[in-house]
Amino acid sequence: MRAVYVVLGTIFGFILSRSGAADYDFIQGMFLFTNLQLYGIMGAAVLVGAPGIWLIKQRGRTLAGRKIEIELKPLHRGNITGGVLFGIGWSLAGMCPGPILVNIGEGKIYALAAFAGALAGAGVFGTVYQRLQRPFALPALKVGTGEG
Amino acid sequence: MTLILNNLPPLHWALAGLGVAGVTLALLLIGNRRLGISTGFEDVCSLVLPAPYFRRLAVVSGRPWRLPLLCGLVLGGFLSAVLGGGWKPTWALGMFDTAIGLGPAGKLAWMFVAGLFIGFGTRLAGGCTSGHGIFGLANLERPSLITTITFMAAGIVTTQVVYRVIFPLTGQ
Repeated sequence: MRAVYVVLGTIFGFILSRSGAADYDFIQGMFLFTNLQLYGIMGAAVLVGAPGIWLIKQRGRTLAGRKIEIELKPLHRGNITGGVLFGIGWSLAGMCPGPILVNIGEGKIYALAAFAGALAGAGVFGTVYQRLQRPFALPALKVGTGEG
Repeated sequence: MTLILNNLPPLHWALAGLGVAGVTLALLLIGNRRLGISTGFEDVCSLVLPAPYFRRLAVVSGRPWRLPLLCGLVLGGFLSAVLGGGWKPTWALGMFDTAIGLGPAGKLAWMFVAGLFIGFGTRLAGGCTSGHGIFGLANLERPSLITTITFMAAGIVTTQVVYRVIFPLTGQ
């Protein structure tokens, strides 16, 4: 199964690389409204993904017959504060999490620093989670803020 | 407009969107997995950090599939370069070089700080562009709608301030 995930990741990475989703100028163009390519990609992905996910849920089983169980993300105050912080970071780096890895693969040296920063940021978050729980009304430690 | 990577022309947005949806649906249909990349940062952290947050079942049990997916992303970027004009290490950063123009050390510092925002912010928000923006929206989840609107708005404000106020682009 691991090979399947490597292959799917490779296809995903290739598409992100060639579409502009992992390109600094296309990301700034999206936020400046001077290049709408990324809005088109995200819109198309959601428009096609929505009926697809609905159909797979109707089917209820994976190809191998396992039950489909989608863990929903919890709602909490971290959605807004975290969203603001992430938006600032996405704009400054011109990369969101997937494209950081894609850019490393492409040979963009500075992406290694973004990756190191992202790991440090996630590391700090996990380490202080219990102290953030009350101010941000975050779920129990066992649940976390959600996969994704 | 071409990509920074070897000045390649970009894929059509509809084709790229269809491809992203295809990968998202394949993950669900084959592996019962919800697309999400930023949780992979926690998976990597959990390899070395002992905090109870990184010992959770949700993190540890995700490693066997999410870490291979993350490796695939690096491989996909590498193949894209190799098949599209050749792979070589580069510092090129498009309009950043034109308008802000920091050297290698400055770029590393800039990107590290941006990475801190990305790592801490995505985990506080419970996801990123993939988990909230693609999967969460396509699955009609309200927290994902709220988060996506928030990070898009924050990105728009930040870029507008950086490129229209602090480092204005000439001719725009």
